Amino acid sequence: MLECGVRPNRIALENAQASTLRLRHLGVRYNISLAEVSTAAPPSLDRRRIVCACLAAVAAFLAFDALIFRSGLYAGITEPNSTAGAFELTYRRELQKQSELGGNVVVTLGDSRFGYLPRQANELTAESGYVFRHAGVAGGDARTWYYMLRDLDPTARRYRAVVFGVNDFDDEDTGYQPDTDLGPMHSFIGHLRLSDVLEFARSFRGAALQWSAFRGSVLKGFVYQSDFHALLSNPLKRADDVRMGREDWPQWTYDYEEDPRSLAGLSIDWKLWRAAFPPGADDVQRETVRDILMRPVARQEGVVAEFRRRWYGKIFEHYRGSPTRIIFVRLARGPVLRPQNLVVKRSSSVREFAALPNVALAQEHFLDVLERPDYFKDGTHVNREGAAQFAPLLVREVRRILGPAQ
Amino acid sequence: MPFNTVQFFVFLAVALVLFYVSPQAVRKYVLLAASYFFYAFWNPRFVPLLLTLSAIDYCAALWMERAPAARRKPLLILGLAANLAFLGFFKYFNFLSGNMALLMGRLPESFAFDIVLPLGISFHTLQSISYLVDVYRGEQAAIRNPIDYALFISFFPQLVAGPIVRARVFFRDLEPWRAPDAGQAAEGLFLLVLGLVKKMAFADQFAQVVDSYFKNVSSGGGALTAWSAMIAFSLQIYFDFSGYTDMAIGMAKLFGFHFPVNFRRPYLSSSVTEFWRRWHISLSTWLRDYLYIPMGGNREGRWKTYRNLMATMLLGGLWHGASWNFVMWGGLHGVMLSVERLIRGNRRYEEVRGWRYWPQVALTFALVTMTRVFFRAANFTESVQVLGQMFGGVAGRWLLEPWHLYLAAVSFAVAVVEERYQATDKLMRAPAWAYATALFAMLVCLELFGVVDASIPFVYFQF
Repeated sequence: MLECGVRPNRIALENAQASTLRLRHLGVRYNISLAEVSTAAPPSLDRRRIVCACLAAVAAFLAFDALIFRSGLYAGITEPNSTAGAFELTYRRELQKQSELGGNVVVTLGDSRFGYLPRQANELTAESGYVFRHAGVAGGDARTWYYMLRDLDPTARRYRAVVFGVNDFDDEDTGYQPDTDLGPMHSFIGHLRLSDVLEFARSFRGAALQWSAFRGSVLKGFVYQSDFHALLSNPLKRADDVRMGREDWPQWTYDYEEDPRSLAGLSIDWKLWRAAFPPGADDVQRETVRDILMRPVARQEGVVAEFRRRWYGKIFEHYRGSPTRIIFVRLARGPVLRPQNLVVKRSSSVREFAALPNVALAQEHFLDVLERPDYFKDGTHVNREGAAQFAPLLVREVRRILGPAQ
Repeated sequence: MPFNTVQFFVFLAVALVLFYVSPQAVRKYVLLAASYFFYAFWNPRFVPLLLTLSAIDYCAALWMERAPAARRKPLLILGLAANLAFLGFFKYFNFLSGNMALLMGRLPESFAFDIVLPLGISFHTLQSISYLVDVYRGEQAAIRNPIDYALFISFFPQLVAGPIVRARVFFRDLEPWRAPDAGQAAEGLFLLVLGLVKKMAFADQFAQVVDSYFKNVSSGGGALTAWSAMIAFSLQIYFDFSGYTDMAIGMAKLFGFHFPVNFRRPYLSSSVTEFWRRWHISLSTWLRDYLYIPMGGNREGRWKTYRNLMATMLLGGLWHGASWNFVMWGGLHGVMLSVERLIRGNRRYEEVRGWRYWPQVALTFALVTMTRVFFRAANFTESVQVLGQMFGGVAGRWLLEPWHLYLAAVSFAVAVVEERYQATDKLMRAPAWAYATALFAMLVCLELFGVVDASIPFVYFQF
């Protein structure tokens, strides 16, 4: 820039191919090269070949996406510590176990609040006749369980019962709107099929989210992006983590011991909306109590009811005519109970489900005994002692509903 | 309607279909309607402004051409004043009034208006000015058909952020208009996808790093943090603007127009002088032809050359935005250009070769990156904070992940290959299988790196 005259360099040589303007101004003549793109037509491409080339590129791209992201190839190397990795490891672990466990398997599904330990439940197999497996993943919801079960139990006959842990049989909107959250999609993205795309996208609210869901379920690379970037950043660590996940994770999760911390001493003054924490309470304990247990009351718009009806409805459809029983369990609600009169719950979709032939509800209050601060490690999760109490209660309740094992 | 949205691609597809199904005589009207729709989609209230400016320039040029020599200059001044008045009001009024208020000891907002900057006004004003000056100089015939002129100003691929197209380049393609042949269409499509990849897969990834740093500069970070953020910004702004330009040139080709290139691997420059020959070429050549040379260029002695360089770059900086930061940025470039000129003396500029090349490339990149602090920071205080961190004693945390560096390394390798072999040009003219492979690679890149859920505007759209 800002140069007059001919420039003896590469740029000048490139520019020399372009037109040269002879500019007259103030009686001075300057030679200025204008940088222009050559307009000469390339000889090797004709219209038909270009169309073919474009179509071939798009076809190869779709094939690439299908080969890497639809075949399970990439799902097998996702970060084990991510939601997608946890979902995949859980799915593969349970699939692998199916052949070893016979016909009296009860699979449980729920988020991290469904904190019983299958190992403790299976210590009672001699008494109950049932083997318990847990296919739930932290942060999952009914949508997640649908995609998990559809691939885990494609014939709808592999389990004696499917047990879902829910916060409440009644529907309470908490402010969280699952139909606006694309996050859970990351966990089950590997299990979305092309036939799901339209229905899945339509389950979100608003055109922008529906478009994102559509794009992500058609081209899964968009959803796996951050995982892929992490893989690129440290491929050796990923290889190690994946190997450890494959070899050790099934046993590690089965032998898992819950955290012994407790909230013993916690009290909440609901009139003043103030919590008194036990000495030594840590940040997680305080945050979970404040953010979840002491959450503000949300407007009741039927969001949870609609979501449950849609996604549990698809699960019921999958199990229609199947001998598998579907059981809903109300989980322990917290270390301290919220006042009953805070929210007027307008519907109870879970109770509606009970009218279906193979759906049953556990006794609503059978886990109420766990709703004590000393059984909780934070505002929402049971601790080691709570989990130890949880397992036998669950086994007995499921045995009561299913009757003796066959 | 930014170029990297589905909405825009639907608009583009409809515009292309309508353009090509229309009889040839009607096509320019279709293109004009599409361009005004594009402009109105952003803010319909400014359509009269665009029409008014086009009408003023159109009439001024015609009168100038018909007027006797003595009366041409006043007409030119009138036309330029009208353009600069609009630009001045919309872009610089609050800046000037704020400074006036400060001088009078009042709050900067004392005389401020709530002014919305019309889309692309900085760019189409420069196009208008170059047209008027060219007509005045007798290098461009005044355009007779108002539709043609309105299209020149509003043509949507380059309306928002250039490239700044000279009238002779545009009208050479408009009259007589020739349909792009298959090869040109292939080039257009290739550039469109390439630009999208540059924007979404490269620029927006680096933008996230930059934004995370600038969100809270005052919290401190240290030298590594500030340098990594500024390197990321240098990469962001290049990929962002050159991506936009590639898309604009590509789209123009699809409509049968051939625009000049705007970037030529600027980060392979071995001096700031060379950098400005490779960066935003349509602006730098505009500044050269309509500001630097008319002021005397380098032909009136050493000190006047420095003065001209400084004035040109200060105005170039101010053109980017109405703030002292941009003035500072332009001034620093003026100083660097002057220093290089001082070192070079009267010798003609020559490209650096041999062992000195790579160290000088690194130095140029570092200098350009440092000056960009003023370009990116919200205000002068923040700029000083960032520079303080860049040269402070605290190390801080390197913000770029290894995969960011891989992206940078790949693009650097592509630039070197491009520099040596003009690979992109060859690829666009390569056999169909090579063309298809390149398209495939770009689509994969878009899928794996494209930022799709965060709406990151083009950097130059704000100007």
